[in-house]
Amino acid sequence: MIQEVVWSISIVLMGILAALFIWVAVGADAALVNYGPVIASAYRLRTWLFGLAVIILIAANYDTIGKLPYVSSLPAMPAGAAIQPVEVVAEQWDWSIKPNAFHVGQTAEFRVTSKDVNHGFALYDPEMHIVAQVQAMPGYTNVLRYTFNEPGVFHVLCLEYCGVAHHQMNTEIKVTAQ
Amino acid sequence: MTIQAVQTRGGISARAAVLAYVVVCGLVLLLMMVFGLLMRLTQAQWIDIQPDLFYVIMTMHGAGMVGIAGLCGATVMWYFVRRHVPVTTGIFVANLVFFLIGALLILGSGFIGGFGAAWTFLFPLPAHSGDLWSANAAAAYMFGLLFIGVGFLLLHLDIARGILSVYGGLGAALGVKQAFGLAPESEGPPPAVAASTMALIVNILGILLGAAVLVITLVNLYVPSFAFNALAAKNMIFFFGHVFINATIYMAVIAVYEILPVYTHRAWKTNQAFYLAWVLSTVFVLIVYPHHLLMDFAMPTWALVLGQVVSWLSGLPVLLVTAFGALTNVYRSGIKWNTAAGLVFVGAAGWAIGVIPAIADGTIEVNSFMHNTQWVPGHFHTYLLLGTIAMFLGFLTHITPRSNNAWAPTGFWLYVVGGSIFVLAFLTAGAASVPRRYAVHLPSWLPYDRVGSIGAALVVVGVLILVVRFLVSVTSAAPEEAGA
Repeated sequence: MIQEVVWSISIVLMGILAALFIWVAVGADAALVNYGPVIASAYRLRTWLFGLAVIILIAANYDTIGKLPYVSSLPAMPAGAAIQPVEVVAEQWDWSIKPNAFHVGQTAEFRVTSKDVNHGFALYDPEMHIVAQVQAMPGYTNVLRYTFNEPGVFHVLCLEYCGVAHHQMNTEIKVTAQ
Repeated sequence: MTIQAVQTRGGISARAAVLAYVVVCGLVLLLMMVFGLLMRLTQAQWIDIQPDLFYVIMTMHGAGMVGIAGLCGATVMWYFVRRHVPVTTGIFVANLVFFLIGALLILGSGFIGGFGAAWTFLFPLPAHSGDLWSANAAAAYMFGLLFIGVGFLLLHLDIARGILSVYGGLGAALGVKQAFGLAPESEGPPPAVAASTMALIVNILGILLGAAVLVITLVNLYVPSFAFNALAAKNMIFFFGHVFINATIYMAVIAVYEILPVYTHRAWKTNQAFYLAWVLSTVFVLIVYPHHLLMDFAMPTWALVLGQVVSWLSGLPVLLVTAFGALTNVYRSGIKWNTAAGLVFVGAAGWAIGVIPAIADGTIEVNSFMHNTQWVPGHFHTYLLLGTIAMFLGFLTHITPRSNNAWAPTGFWLYVVGGSIFVLAFLTAGAASVPRRYAVHLPSWLPYDRVGSIGAALVVVGVLILVVRFLVSVTSAAPEEAGA
């Protein structure tokens, strides 16, 4: 699950940075007599760190920008593959999703819009983890494609604050084994 | 005009104005933290607050915290920049008055009028209340934000006037020539001037666009047939919101540049990398805002890709200049740690550490799974609560050394430990797909809420100690440095 990977990497990197600050803070009460060479070394280190950061930045962006969720950026579907269009209309504080039953392996193309204010269409798997999302906006139809790969009851939650019953704006999608 | 002449301007009234700011900041900060604690306790199901009131509190907490973070940053900026350029104390005081009027309007809109459209007032939600608030209540909120915006606009324009009178141009005050090696580093502006210049450039643009969308929303409240493109409004709101909240950090970080060297006895070295960082940050802050719209698939793809790439780039100046600078300034400096120095150092750390989850969320592939989960408040509380506010609390303690007493370390540790628990609970909940801005949580989400509540409670107690010590010290003796 991507969330666990992102959480783990973030916690490790945040921990390394925190440890660096703590290490410098704890050792700071002993004064260096000659600071000049140390600062010169630090600046050389910073040049190397800058180079490393640029490499990471290019690699991470190259990799992730190749995986955009936008329909115009998705790879073409295999010939003959069927895509099920799904009309999704959000309105304070309810979802209209037609159809709302699918089978494993089926690719749904959610065409998401709103009748009133901004909402957030978030698809949760049966274990209540987000597997895809897109904003629902008045005046726009946002297209989100998702292929169901497990049976069960999926949930749709609103993820853009839309008023007093925002937390109650949810519905279910049933996915059956093929 | 010599610097000495500039420094003596304002005299006692400037000192009183700074103290008034710090008092207001401390008290409003505490009130808004209590609001935040109430929300976490409600989500934890340890107290019972009905959803309509919860969302009012959420709206007040958001608007109040963004506003007070701005005021905290402005306090630090004005205190230090007036050592280098002439500024007008009357304008500084006017900003505080505008802020207080705006804050009263906003609090009234929520607790009297029931307005609860979140601080981001996403168009056209203010006009779709479900009969929970009136158009007048929503208008009071919009006028409140407008008042606060006008105050900040005046303050930035006055500082711009002062900067132009000394440096002749904003480019010179930002150190553009030094950034590109066209002028000696030694002739560059001091850090407080470069940072103030960056803040005023981005904030003036942000406030103007924010004011425009506020007026559009106001018209829509009373003339519903006045339609406006919701995506365009969203762009304007997030440009304003992103710029304003980021400017709070860029103003407050002046405390790191100015206060840390007092205790390490090492000057903050400004060099080409420093000036380049500030020039690039100015550009990045203005163009990165599409990373708030990554799930708006109707946006042009190039704009969203720009939002991601600039999110990553934005981390470099923070990590490699400010965080690296703080570390090298402190490294084996012989510093005798006290609460003021510790808080400022934590502020630099909090900002740097907060960059990591921010970059993660700014990545489109990750945003698909993390957007509008509790990962979002997790990352921004890391660099606001443990960054901006830590810098401000360090400033507060620094200008009143008498507040730096036996109780101060207790406040420091409660705040730092509690703040760390608080943000980690948010981040972990976000990774578990817990949505943000939900008044009612599922039973499986309660452990995160309860751990977060404990962290929030520790933060409130810690900050209460620091602010009360400050108030006691200013009422018992004049601060030693506030008039410097």
